[in-house]
Amino acid sequence: MSASATALSLKHIVKRYGSYVAVDGIDLDVGQGEFLTLLGPSGCGKTTTLRMIGGMERPDAGTIEIKGRRVDRLPSHKRDTATVFQSGALFPHMTVAENVAYGLKMRGVPNGEIGPRVTRMLDVVRMGDFAGRYPADMSGGQRQRVALARAMVVEPGILLFDEPMSALDLKLKLELRAEIRRLHEEMGFTAVFVTHDQGEAMTLSDRVAVLNKGRIEQIAPPVEVFERPASEFVYTFVGESCVLELGGRPLGEGARLGPVPAGRQRLYLRPHHLHVVEAEGQDNSIRATVTAVEYMGGGYRIHAETPAGNLFFDTSRAPVIGPDHILAIGWSSADATYFPAS
Amino acid sequence: MSARRSLSAEWLLLPAIAFTTVVFGWPLLILLRMSFNQHPPDGIYVEAWSLENYVAVLTEPANLSAVFDTLYIALVTAVVTVAAAFLFAQFVWLRQGKRRAMLLALALGPMLVSEISVIIGWRMVLPSNGLLSWSLFASGLIDRKFNLLGTEFAAVLGLAYISMPYCFFTILGVLNGIDRTLLTASGDLGASPWRTFFKVLLPLAKGGIASAFTQAFVFTMGIYATTNALGPDGLWTVGYEIQRQMLSRRDWPLASALAVVLVLLIALVALGVQALRHRKAPRHG
Repeated sequence: MSASATALSLKHIVKRYGSYVAVDGIDLDVGQGEFLTLLGPSGCGKTTTLRMIGGMERPDAGTIEIKGRRVDRLPSHKRDTATVFQSGALFPHMTVAENVAYGLKMRGVPNGEIGPRVTRMLDVVRMGDFAGRYPADMSGGQRQRVALARAMVVEPGILLFDEPMSALDLKLKLELRAEIRRLHEEMGFTAVFVTHDQGEAMTLSDRVAVLNKGRIEQIAPPVEVFERPASEFVYTFVGESCVLELGGRPLGEGARLGPVPAGRQRLYLRPHHLHVVEAEGQDNSIRATVTAVEYMGGGYRIHAETPAGNLFFDTSRAPVIGPDHILAIGWSSADATYFPAS
Repeated sequence: MSARRSLSAEWLLLPAIAFTTVVFGWPLLILLRMSFNQHPPDGIYVEAWSLENYVAVLTEPANLSAVFDTLYIALVTAVVTVAAAFLFAQFVWLRQGKRRAMLLALALGPMLVSEISVIIGWRMVLPSNGLLSWSLFASGLIDRKFNLLGTEFAAVLGLAYISMPYCFFTILGVLNGIDRTLLTASGDLGASPWRTFFKVLLPLAKGGIASAFTQAFVFTMGIYATTNALGPDGLWTVGYEIQRQMLSRRDWPLASALAVVLVLLIALVALGVQALRHRKAPRHG
């Protein structure tokens, strides 16, 4: 989904709290109709960035433009954004219908239009039968659907999501995720979605921006972030990884490595690229001592140690090996990622 | 099983009920009985079953005006106190940490001094040679001193000062139960701060406001020293009149009838506020 026009543009945004720099110079362009996710660990600045887009925080430096209009000095209620909050933040003294109508009323939509738009939007999120209920009488998943309807109904220039699923259990999470995907396809809104859950980031986004310490480490489509991580941080944050320190201690007898870049290096491997080597002739392999075998439900995870670091990989068959077994673990050169050791 | 449990719960309430009955109910009954007695010119009371005291309370202009003055001053004070307490509570609610602790300590201030000290304090601030008028005059901000002592303003100020902490903590308690994200969400959906205040914060704090209002109102109805010492001479509250009848005129039956009317008025207001509050009961999570 390529972006035709820029809906949102952040230029060198900085936010400090005292001496702590929460957001350290973020540049970001989001295309019309694009679904962009800010992914990162807690404290990486993703929520602060979202709040600055929504007008709940003011940047200390930089500019924010929504559809070509500069908004970084505007208060929240004058910006063309609407947010789905982590807690839902539904007004407890209003019914579902009143909650959804709230934004339309505040934006001065004529009364005659409000009713039909509310009804239509509640049908879209499949909450039509709940119009007269109060938030306290609904489940967490239902409340989040209403929160979604309340934000979408005003047809904001940018729809903001502040970890909207982190308070839900796994089943509801997956359900709501599918729902947001469907709605994005149907309605084509522009979205900035904040999460620390890479599964959400991978399945929902057109592009993912991986944040660390207030900076963007990589911004790319999900596949690229996973397959071609731009930095060590991205590699380790997105997906599972094993790391071997090279150039230090000897790798032990029978170790074979493909071409390694010069200097001290760290070798990163995905567990699903690892396998047990039966015969010689593999590009890359290393001898490892099994330390533990865990049953994972439907498969087993084998942990093993080598002189250069620990490895783990999954196998679906019940392993015949146990702790203290020595085996050769191999991978192909194409799956090896090297970063210079710092 | 559940029937037995609720029965034992009732038994547990018994000591409290017994205590309330003995300590509050019994004197109230004596008061009620006294209000039907008669006052002889040469004594305190003679036993009788007469309504003459109630007739006196409800028809004699002096007594009636005491009732209306009391209601009036209590109403004004309750409104002023609740408004001030709400603003202060909201200010504290939106703050965190050390600042908040300091503000809470400040709010407790009026409770640390007795009513008499409060009166003496304001009597030093309010007259034309008092702290306020004098310092404004001395600093050249005004060119004529002014007196505020003995005015309705002074009475309301003193009463509000005394009932403020109770109202403040009641309202703060309710505000603490409100998710602050709701205010953010309201602004995010396009509501100005004013509309957020009236559409979200105020409706959610309604219960606390009603309780605080009742508290201030009931409290003020019963106080007479502050009203008397700071307010104008013409402002006679029922409390003051009861005290005068009881101690100076030795007319216990009339004092009792006044007290019964005061208790009924307070009960009526408390019930009225409750009824208003539950008229359209929203359900909270």
